[in-house]
Amino acid sequence: MNRSYLWVWVFFFTCAICVSIPAMAGEPTEMVRKTTDKIIAIVTDSSLEGPEKAAERKRLVREAVSEQFNRKEMSRRTLARHWRKRTEEEKIEFIDLYGKLLEQTYLDRVEGYSGEKVFYEGEEVDGKYGVVKVKILTGQGTKIAVEYRLKKAGDDWLVYDVSIEGVSLVNNYRNQFNSIIVRSSYKDFIKKLKAKVEKQ
Amino acid sequence: MRKFDLELAVGIFMIAGMVCLAYLTIKLGQLEVLGDKGYEIQAVFSSSGGLKTGSSVVIAGVEVGRVKKVVLDDYQARVTMSLPLEVKIQEDAIASIKTKGLIGEKYVEISPGGLDENLEPGGVIRDTQPPIDIEQLISKYIFGTVSDK
Repeated sequence: MNRSYLWVWVFFFTCAICVSIPAMAGEPTEMVRKTTDKIIAIVTDSSLEGPEKAAERKRLVREAVSEQFNRKEMSRRTLARHWRKRTEEEKIEFIDLYGKLLEQTYLDRVEGYSGEKVFYEGEEVDGKYGVVKVKILTGQGTKIAVEYRLKKAGDDWLVYDVSIEGVSLVNNYRNQFNSIIVRSSYKDFIKKLKAKVEKQ
Repeated sequence: MRKFDLELAVGIFMIAGMVCLAYLTIKLGQLEVLGDKGYEIQAVFSSSGGLKTGSSVVIAGVEVGRVKKVVLDDYQARVTMSLPLEVKIQEDAIASIKTKGLIGEKYVEISPGGLDENLEPGGVIRDTQPPIDIEQLISKYIFGTVSDK
């Protein structure tokens, strides 16, 4: 009688441990890891190599990135106090232009991937906000500290800011855009942003 | 009668001198005597870079408050700042520690956010940026290139 109970308990504990192991790494880290692995798989995929496949490769990377990034949240945080004064159309236009600007600036860097290793150093979750700390080891042996800041949206954790070596992307653009808007006007700023995006 | 006047004058002069001294002590020492009319907010930085109690807190280059406390919390720097009530900080504001000039003193810069919700007294600025360690950047650059060749 006693022995059979013991086996039932052993069974339950084994089940409990098996279920809890995958959950231990934490949801935000898992989300970032999934996207990172996906992008690395795309840029190292031998069937997508060569300049003629560049457009296809870029499209796939762009898709993977936009699944993980919350573009509206990023745009809102970047425009900061100027965001509230915008109309719905202006907001949509800005989200689009800003997304293109980021793509142009960072997609080429992803293309230059040469076997950098990614280490997940830990995460902090506070309510609906989370931070995932990552170290990237370059081919030359330098470590780059990257922090992904995420916000929970429904079931997903989406990135709204990335800080590299302590320098925040949103803060960088927030300061730049703010100084342009304050010096001239929002219209002028959009004109400049459009020119920059269309130049490439 | 005459002697009394002289003593009175000296006494008044002395008191005036002491008041001036007290005023200067409070002003220069940046002490707060009559309680704070403002409120406090906090921010956690991965490094404070030598930020001190009394360092200034600026928005758009304008000094709005002061650093009240810098303590170690889970191997990070928790900075408490006091701000006047009329200065509202949005929840998505970003706090960064900066240096005046290349090797000057450290201060906290807050770049205001765009949310409608403001931080309550005692609230925490979530997004922070530690000071840039120039030494570390240079060493990274040097070692990066040396082992490359």
